[in-house]
Amino acid sequence: MPVDTKRLRGPEESQSPWLFVEQEQQSPPDEREDGRRKGQVDVRPIFARCGLVSQAKGSAYIESGKTKVICSVYGPRETERKDETDMKFGRLVCTFRFAPFSCAKRCGWIQSTQEKDLSMALLGSLHPGLCLHRYPRSQIDVSVLVLENDGSALAHAVTCASLALADAGIEMYDLVLGCSLRQEGSDYLLDPTFAEETQEPATESTENRGGMMVALLPSLNQVSGLLCSGDLEQQPLVEAVAACIEGCQRIYSVAQRCLLTAVKKKNPPPDG
Amino acid sequence: MVCLPLDAGAHKFRHMADRRLREFGCEQNLLSRPDGSASFVQGDTTVVVGIYGPAEVKVSKESYDRATLEVILKPKVGLPGVAERSREQFIRETCEAALLTALHPRTSIVLILQVIHDDGSLLSCCLNSACMAAMDAGLNMRCLFCGVTCAIDLDGNIILDPTAKQEKESRAVLTFAIDSVERQVMMSSTKGAFTTAEFHQSIAICQKAAESIFQFYRDSVGRRYSKS
Amino acid sequence: MLRRPQRASKLHQRVMNTNSLTQAPWHQTTVEPLEYHRKFLKENCRPDGRELGEFRTTTLNIGSITTADGSALVKLGNTTIICGIKGELAAPPADAPDKGYIVPNVDLPPLCSSRFRPGPPGEQAQAASQFIADVIENSEMLQREDLCIEKGKLSWVLYCDIICLDYDGNILDACIIALLASMKNVQLPEVHVNEQTGLAEVNMKKKRHLNIVKHPVAASFAVFDNSILIVDPTSDEENLSTGFITVVIDEEEKLCTVHKPGGTPLSNEKLQDCINRAITRNKEVCKLLNKVMKSMKAK
Repeated sequence: MPVDTKRLRGPEESQSPWLFVEQEQQSPPDEREDGRRKGQVDVRPIFARCGLVSQAKGSAYIESGKTKVICSVYGPRETERKDETDMKFGRLVCTFRFAPFSCAKRCGWIQSTQEKDLSMALLGSLHPGLCLHRYPRSQIDVSVLVLENDGSALAHAVTCASLALADAGIEMYDLVLGCSLRQEGSDYLLDPTFAEETQEPATESTENRGGMMVALLPSLNQVSGLLCSGDLEQQPLVEAVAACIEGCQRIYSVAQRCLLTAVKKKNPPPDG
Repeated sequence: MVCLPLDAGAHKFRHMADRRLREFGCEQNLLSRPDGSASFVQGDTTVVVGIYGPAEVKVSKESYDRATLEVILKPKVGLPGVAERSREQFIRETCEAALLTALHPRTSIVLILQVIHDDGSLLSCCLNSACMAAMDAGLNMRCLFCGVTCAIDLDGNIILDPTAKQEKESRAVLTFAIDSVERQVMMSSTKGAFTTAEFHQSIAICQKAAESIFQFYRDSVGRRYSKS
Repeated sequence: MLRRPQRASKLHQRVMNTNSLTQAPWHQTTVEPLEYHRKFLKENCRPDGRELGEFRTTTLNIGSITTADGSALVKLGNTTIICGIKGELAAPPADAPDKGYIVPNVDLPPLCSSRFRPGPPGEQAQAASQFIADVIENSEMLQREDLCIEKGKLSWVLYCDIICLDYDGNILDACIIALLASMKNVQLPEVHVNEQTGLAEVNMKKKRHLNIVKHPVAASFAVFDNSILIVDPTSDEENLSTGFITVVIDEEEKLCTVHKPGGTPLSNEKLQDCINRAITRNKEVCKLLNKVMKSMKAK
């Protein structure tokens, strides 16, 4: 492995103290730890703010449970890569990063393959919501940083990024809201926490177990992104998508209010 | 051509808490490819510098009102790391303040420093060699500058131009760049903790030592041009 | 966690009082920024209403990241820095078997300003990382021996990851405050090395704070027009200035670092002015730190 000469390095090898803790094997409880119910469209309350990054064209910050995501948008600016053949549309560039301290186990500085995959998923989800034909020959940069990952990071990143894009005044067809879900047998857990996302299954069978993330254009009621992993049968799958869509709709009002506040702040009403 | 200060021999035997510089010398124009070059020797510490420019600049680095200065510091062994990058910043910003970069807008000046041997006071040796190389390249400068390092040992004695061993044993190491016009501090890089009084005392000692380096600059240039 | 300091109205009022310059047309601020700033400096104030020796409002939020062992978010005006510290276990360094590691890294992601590009850290980020490492080493804020668990066998590695979320100048000062606050916030679990198996045993229920013995605080200055010193420069002011100096000092008035990477030469009197301002800044920051720590305990 090549050494990273552009950062200060610690020892060659180090382990998280959690590796040395005796993990008690326990079956997942019937109730969810934070008191939410299984099989219900029960999303964690969201705190959202726009315009916190002074240097960016637009920015947003979302806190949902302990998950904290910040996003800023730069552009439209001149594209860096001029070799693109199609110059009629603007280019959307998404970067998704986890802060090194955001997960239970420290992640390195170099962008991992997981982060690259998530960047692509983010790009795919946001793309249908944007009027990119309005920005020929230009580039819009969206960078998302997860400050703390307590589950559903990608879903919140999608919501956060679309708020930041709206805050930047980029023309859009609709907001893009994200919601994720974890299927455990016949039950599903909406907006799962990190522990719920990674917990060991109670039974050995792999039937009907998986994760899902849906990105929704809420007022058009169209799905712009769907990410599914694991093994799901048709019926639970359809139900899961419906639950995710419902979950997205639940956070729509928060997102709207957040944007309204930001707009009012930028252009205060004339009578002060 | 090799220049040595006239009283170089007198510096050979140094007392521990001696407030004199080690024997130093310089050779200019030793490389044929770069536009200017110099090697500077301070005791056993040696640095070679080559300067290219003003030359064409990459579009991404172009600035419309002045030349872009790039400094690359190559360590004696291994790959350059974060410590080298930090030193590069020190050298670059010092040179930027001294060179009249506004005379060559939309160009690049590249300074490449190769450490031949490090026996303490490396940053000051880098600065001295960079200044000599800039003179050799004939770049227009606002002022000359020189680097002086001093160390404060455990008893509070100030040692000028310490060796690597002395640096390791000392409580603090301070490096300053002094300008030739006002004799003021252009750059300051410090290691270890020290009091305000010690700080000012160190500056005074380094300013005094800078005189002999500036005299050396003057002599070496004088000698070089009187010959031809 | 991220809230804006509410002080704008007061500042605004003061600017209005000092001068009618605030109504300068936009072309003056963008076409002739230097002239624009000079007009303010002539009146001994700055475009945002501050005096030359005045810091921006500093706000501090400690311990908001639960996945980190210690964390802090610092806002210096618009500049926002977050620092998270995570402890891991490793064999001690071969040349110092009774010590642990502190690994600070500063990241300036493209998120925080349009001046940074994605990819590996640039020169500024690397120089900042080295600066933070130097300050930790020089100030001896923490005995590295404290991080050793068993001599020659096991010690702690503290990864201090500092990320800039909003770049509006003077990141070094904010980084040092973020580092110091998160160091004070760190709680490491108790670890023993089992003598029979030679393996580490971690007790997550018993945690202890680090023993922070020194409190280094930085004060940065920009030099304007080769003569005027302004404290805590914004990003605009940084772009226009001809030199920088950062003085780091601890509560016993010992200098930890005088970092001046080139630029305009400064006289000894000017340097002393910087040191004096840094001394008062240390008191201000320590007071803020204590206040925030106390309010956390009260909760």
